[in-house]
Amino acid sequence: MEVGVPHSWIRCLLLCVLGSFSFATYAQDGLSQKVTFQIVDQTLKETLRQLENTAGVRFSYNPKKLPLEKKISIQAANETIEQVLKKIIQQVPLQYTYIEGQFVLQPVPETSSAGQKKSTLSGYVKDRSTGEAMIGATIYLPLIGQGAVANSFGFYSLTVDTGIYEVQYSFIGYKNEVTQIDLATSKSQNVYLQETSPLLQPVIIRAGVSDLPEVPQTGNISVQPEAIQERPSLLGETDVIKSLESVPGVKSHSDGSTFYYVRGGQRDQNLILVDDAPIYNPAHLLGLFSSIIPDAINDMTLYKGDMPASLGGRISSVLDIRTKKGNDQHFQWWGSVGLVSNKIGVEGPIKKNKSSFLVSTRFSRLKWLAQLGNQDIDQFRFTDFTGKLNVDINQSNRIFFSLTSGSDNYFAGNAGIRWSNLASTLRWNHLFSDKLFANTTASVSGYRYELFTDRSTNTRWNSQIANLQLKSDLTYFKNPRNEISGGLGVFGYFFDPGNIRSDQNVSTVPVLSIRNSSELVMYGNHQVNVSERWSLTYGLRFTHWANVGEAFEFDFDETGNVIDTLRYQSGERYIQFLNAEPRFTASYAPSAQSSVKFSYTRTVQNMHQIINTTSPFTSLEVWLPSSQNIKPQIANQWVVGYYHSLVATGIDLSAEGFYKILDNQIEYEDHAETLLNPLVERELRFGQGKAYGVEFLAKKETGRLRGWLGYSYARAKRTFDGVNGGREFNAFFDRPHQVNTMLTYDVSHRWTLGVNWNYVSGAPFSSPVSFYQFNGLEVPLYGQRNNDRLPDYHRMDVSALFKLNKSQEKKFQHTLSLSIYNFYARKNPVFINFNQTEGEDGIFRIPSNLLNAQRTTSQLYLFQWVPSLSYHFKWR
Amino acid sequence: MIKRLTFLLWMVAISCQEPIDYSLLSENVNTVAVEAVLTNESIPQRVKLTLPYQRQNGLPIPATGALISITDGSSLYLLTEKIAGSGEYFSQPFPAVSGRDYRLQIEYRGLTFDAIDRSVGVEPLPDIRYQSADDLNFELTFNPSGDQANYIVHQINWRHTPQCQANSFCEGLLVYYDLKTIDANEVFRPEKETFLFPINTVVIRKKHSVSEGYRKYLRAILSETEWRGGAFDVEPANAPTNLTSGAIGYFAVTSVLSDTIRVQE
Repeated sequence: MEVGVPHSWIRCLLLCVLGSFSFATYAQDGLSQKVTFQIVDQTLKETLRQLENTAGVRFSYNPKKLPLEKKISIQAANETIEQVLKKIIQQVPLQYTYIEGQFVLQPVPETSSAGQKKSTLSGYVKDRSTGEAMIGATIYLPLIGQGAVANSFGFYSLTVDTGIYEVQYSFIGYKNEVTQIDLATSKSQNVYLQETSPLLQPVIIRAGVSDLPEVPQTGNISVQPEAIQERPSLLGETDVIKSLESVPGVKSHSDGSTFYYVRGGQRDQNLILVDDAPIYNPAHLLGLFSSIIPDAINDMTLYKGDMPASLGGRISSVLDIRTKKGNDQHFQWWGSVGLVSNKIGVEGPIKKNKSSFLVSTRFSRLKWLAQLGNQDIDQFRFTDFTGKLNVDINQSNRIFFSLTSGSDNYFAGNAGIRWSNLASTLRWNHLFSDKLFANTTASVSGYRYELFTDRSTNTRWNSQIANLQLKSDLTYFKNPRNEISGGLGVFGYFFDPGNIRSDQNVSTVPVLSIRNSSELVMYGNHQVNVSERWSLTYGLRFTHWANVGEAFEFDFDETGNVIDTLRYQSGERYIQFLNAEPRFTASYAPSAQSSVKFSYTRTVQNMHQIINTTSPFTSLEVWLPSSQNIKPQIANQWVVGYYHSLVATGIDLSAEGFYKILDNQIEYEDHAETLLNPLVERELRFGQGKAYGVEFLAKKETGRLRGWLGYSYARAKRTFDGVNGGREFNAFFDRPHQVNTMLTYDVSHRWTLGVNWNYVSGAPFSSPVSFYQFNGLEVPLYGQRNNDRLPDYHRMDVSALFKLNKSQEKKFQHTLSLSIYNFYARKNPVFINFNQTEGEDGIFRIPSNLLNAQRTTSQLYLFQWVPSLSYHFKWR
Repeated sequence: MIKRLTFLLWMVAISCQEPIDYSLLSENVNTVAVEAVLTNESIPQRVKLTLPYQRQNGLPIPATGALISITDGSSLYLLTEKIAGSGEYFSQPFPAVSGRDYRLQIEYRGLTFDAIDRSVGVEPLPDIRYQSADDLNFELTFNPSGDQANYIVHQINWRHTPQCQANSFCEGLLVYYDLKTIDANEVFRPEKETFLFPINTVVIRKKHSVSEGYRKYLRAILSETEWRGGAFDVEPANAPTNLTSGAIGYFAVTSVLSDTIRVQE
C-alpha cells in the first residue's frame, strides 16, 4: 500500500467538498485530504483501520451498527478522503459526518431511502431440538445495523428496504444462525437455533431486555429454567419462586416462605401469571416449596415496576411465566427423584413441526415421614400438574391450550387443611399480516382454601377466589424502529371471603357476602427508536372496575359503627372505579455499550388480600375487591438506571435507583378479626407507603464461570392513621441492605459447581418494651411498631451437579445433584417468642399452670445445614 | 386437632427452637396496669393495680396509694388496699349484678382512670372431663361449651392427698378460654404443657361469662400470649382496653357459675 499525505492545502479544499454532505457547517479538513490507497478484499474494519493509519484521520462508529466484517476492495490514487469514502459507500451502505476532527460513520437511516420499496422479514425463532419458542431471541441485520427481538411467542417481524441481507439470529446459550436472504419481497422465515454444548452454554440467567441499550425498559429480569435447576436447592426441590430471592430489589419473607416483596410493596401486590392466568397461592407445604414445575417452564420474567401496558392488576410486580409448548420434533420424557417429591414429564409431537403436547406431574412422598411422628395422619401430600397442547394450524394461526394445577392435602384424625390452584388458558396466535400479530387469550383460574374442623360432618371454613378473562392483543411491527401494540380485555372475578360450610346446619355462623366484580381493560403501547441514541416507550392502560350484585356491603360511620346495610340485586353494578395508568420510559445510549434510562409507571390494584399475620407461611387467604370501603391501591414509581457492558470481559453492570409512592395501602386495626367477620372492612386502616432505594448488579453470563453479584439499599415505610399513633414506621419488608451472590462454574463437561450467598438486613418486628399481668398471663406491652429487628439474615448454599453420562450425545441423559442448603448452618430466626417454656424434652410449650409459669425468650429457625441428593433423567 | 395440626406443620419444617439472651428495648413506659374482674358472687371484689415491669418473669410492681371506687349508679363501693403496698384493693362484699353497668374510677398519681362494663348471663357449666394420663395421674381435657364466649378457671389442689410430697407444688391454676372466634393463630397455636394431678385432687371450677368488650380484650391478650408462637401469628400489638387516660388492662364484670369436683377413677 502506498501512502501520500499532502498537508499543505487541506484547509483550502474544505469548502469545496462540503456541499454534498448534510453536516456542511463543520470543519472539512479531513475531507479534502488526499491519499493514495489500495486495498483488496479486506474487511470494512480493516479498511478503516488502514485508512486511519494512512491518512492520519479518525473514524468513530458503533461496531454493532456497521457491517464491519463485510469485505471490500478500494483503489485510490491521490484522491481525497471524500472520494475514498464514496467508493466505500458504493459497497457498503453507510453515511458519514465530519465532526470535530473525526469521521462519524453510521448506517444509512431509513429516512434516507424514503420512497424505496420495503419488505418484511418475519417468522418464529425456535429451539432446534424441541421446537420451543425462543422468547427474547435477537434478529439482527448487520448491514443496516437494525434488528428485532422475538416476542413471548418467539415471533419477530422486521420491515426494511428491499435488498439482500445477512441476517443473524442469536440467543444466549445457542449457536448463532447466520443466513443470507433476498428481501426483494416480504418473506417468512422460521429459524431453528441449536443449543451449544454444555461448556459453551454459559448463559443460564440472562439479563432482561431492559439491559439492552436499545430497549427502553427498566427493572425487569428474566430467569431461565435451566438456571433454577443448576442452583443449590432446598431438599433437592428446584424452586421457581424462591429463585427470585437472588434478584436485587426482591426481598424474600424468610426461610420456608414463598412470599416475596418487590421494591417496598406488599406481598399481595405481586402478580404471578402462568400463560397469562393468575396463580393466587403458589405454595406447597405452607410455603416450603412453590407449586410451579420448573421443568415445564420455557421462560420467566419478573417486572419490578416498569411493566408493559398489557400487564397490570398489581402495583408492585408481575412475574410472567411461560410454559413449554411441548417438543414438536421428537418424543422425550424426563423426571426426577428427590427426598420430598418425584416428578415426571413427557412431551412430543402429535404431528411433527405442526402440533405437540406436554404433560408433567409432581407428587410428594412425605406421608410415610409424617406418619413416623403421628399415626393419625392419613393424608399428607401435594401434587402438581402441567399440561399443554399446541397446534400450528398454518403459518398464520396457532392454538395453545395449557392447564396448571396444584393441590395440598394434610389431614389428621378429624381435622385438616387443603388448598388448590387451577389456571387454564386457551390461546390463539394469529398473523393478520407479516407485520400485525394478534394474541387472543381466554383463561380461567381459581384458588380454594379449606380448613376442616370436623371431617365427619364435612364442616369447614372455605374461601375462594376465581377469575375468568378474555383478552386480545395486537402488535404492529411497523418497522425496526416502531412497534405499536394495543389490546382489550374483559375480566370477571368471584370472591368468597370465607364462610363456614357443613353437612350440618350452621345457621348460627355469620355469613359473609360473596362478591363479584368485572373489569374492562384497554391499553396501548408504542416503542420507538427516535434516533440512534434515543428510544422511547410510552403506554396507557385504562381499567374500569365494577362490583356486581348480588351482594351486600356495609356503610360505616367515622367510629366504625354500621350505619347502613347496602343490598344489591343480582347483576346490579353498584360501585365503579375508573383509572388510567400511564407508563413512560426514555432511553439514551451514549455509546453502544452503555445506556441511561428513566421511567415512570403508575399502577392500580383492585383486589386485596386481607390477612393480619406476620407468618411466613401461606395461611387462610382472604381476598376482597375494591368496594364501598376499600379504595383501589395505587403506586407511582420513578426509576433511573445506568447500564454498561464491559465487552472484553463479558460483564454487564447496571445501577438503578427508584422512588415509589403507594396510596390507599391497607393495614389492620390491632388484633383485627379477619376471618368470618362480616364487618371485616371496619377492621381495615388505610394509609400511605413510600419506598426508595438503589440496586446494583454485575453479572457475567459467558464463560465457565458465570453468575452475578448484586447489592441493594432500599427502604420501605408506612404511615396510617390509627396505627402506631399515626407515626411513620418501617414496614416488615424494610430490610435496607441486601447482597446477592450467585456463581456457577463448569469444572468439566460433567461437573458443575454452584454457590449462592444471600445477605439481607434483619426484618423489623415489634418487640415488647415491658410486661404486665392479667388473669395469670404475662402480657407484653409494645412501644413503637416494628421497633426492633431480627438478626441479619445470611445463608450460603452450595451444589454439585454431575452428569452421569460420559457422552452428551446419548439419548438417555441423567444427572445427580447434591445440594447443601445453609452450608455454614446459620441460625436465621423466623420468630422470637417470649411466652413459652422449655420442657425436659427440649420442646417449647405454653405453660399450663399459671401459678408457677416461667417463660423463656426463644428463637425459632427453620433450616440448618440441609443436605439433599436428587436424581434427574431425560430421555430424548 | 390443634396438637395434630401444629405437629404436622413443624415436623416437615425441620425447625428448631432454642432459648436466647434478649434484652428488651428500653422505652419509658409511664402507665398503670389494671386487673379488675368483678363477679356476681357476694364477695369482696378485687382490683389489682401494678406498674409494667421490664424483665420477663419479673414481679409486677404494686401501684399503691390509689383511690378506687366502683359504682353501679345507685351504690358506691370504695376499695382499700388490704395489705399496704400490695397493690391489691378490695371492696366490702357485694355481687356485681348481671345486666347492670358498673363504673370503675381510679385516682392514681394525679390521674383519673375510668372504665365501664356490664356482665352478661353465664351458661351452665359443662361436665368436667379428665382422662388418665398414666397409672397415677390424670389430666383435664377441654371442649367448647355453650353458645356464648366464656372462660373457665380451674383451681386444682391435691395438698391433702398422699401423693403430695413435702416441698412439692401440689396445686395449679388452669384457664380454658372459649371465645367463640375463629382465628388462624388460635387454630394453629403452639402446644401447651400437660398438667397432671393425682386421684382425689379437688378441682374448683368457675365459669365466667364474657361481655363483648371483654371478649375482644381476652382475644387480644391470648393472641399475645397463649396463641403466639404458632404458624400464623398476628401482627404484635397492644391489647385494647376500656380504661381511659392511657391505663392498660381491663375492667370486666362477669357472671360466674362454679362447682367443685373430686377426681375419681
